[in-house]
Amino acid sequence: MESEAKAPAQAWLLSTAGWLIPGAGHLLQGKFVRGLLLAAVVWFCFIAGLLMGGHMFSVGGNDQGASTLLQLAPMVANLGSGILYIVCWFAGIGFSDDPMLAARATYEYGNTFLLIAGLLNYLAMLDAFDISAGRKT
Amino acid sequence: MTAFAMAAAIVFGTVAKDTSNERLVYGLKVFAEFLLVGLLLGWILYFIPF
Repeated sequence: MESEAKAPAQAWLLSTAGWLIPGAGHLLQGKFVRGLLLAAVVWFCFIAGLLMGGHMFSVGGNDQGASTLLQLAPMVANLGSGILYIVCWFAGIGFSDDPMLAARATYEYGNTFLLIAGLLNYLAMLDAFDISAGRKT
Repeated sequence: MTAFAMAAAIVFGTVAKDTSNERLVYGLKVFAEFLLVGLLLGWILYFIPF
C-alpha cells in the first residue's frame, strides 16, 4: 500500500498563518489573486456580521455543563476568523449579550455571517496547506 | 442571502477545481444552488404553520 508523503513543516506554518491572518497563507506562497479574494470574503463576512449586530461565541464565564458544550461548536466556527476573533475578544467587541442588539431584525443574520467568516477561513487555510504540501497546483 | 451565497460561492470556486474556467463555472453553479435552495426552503417554511 502506498502511503502519502508527509507534509513539510512549511505547509503547517503557512496554513497557521492563513488561519491567523485571512489570505496570508496564499499571499506568502505568491498566490496573490487567490489570497486577496479569500481575504476579502472573510473580512466582508466578518465586518458585515458585526455591523448586523451579530454575536460571537466563547466558552467560559457563567456557562456550565451542557450550556458550555452548546457554545463550543459555534465558538470553534468563530475562532476560524483568526486574528479578527482574537482582537475582538481582547477588545470586547461582539461578545456582549446585549438585548438591544438581540432584538434587531438582523441579529441572526449577523451571527450567521460571523460563523461563516470563520468556516470559510478554515477552507482557505486547508487550501493553503494543500498547495504548500504539493497536493494541489 | 444573496451576499451569503456570493461569499460562499467565491470561496468554494476559489479552492475547488483546477483551471480558472472550471472555477468560474463551479462558483456560478454554487451561487445559483445556494439561491435556489434558499428560496425553496423559504417557501416551504412559509407554509408550515409551526
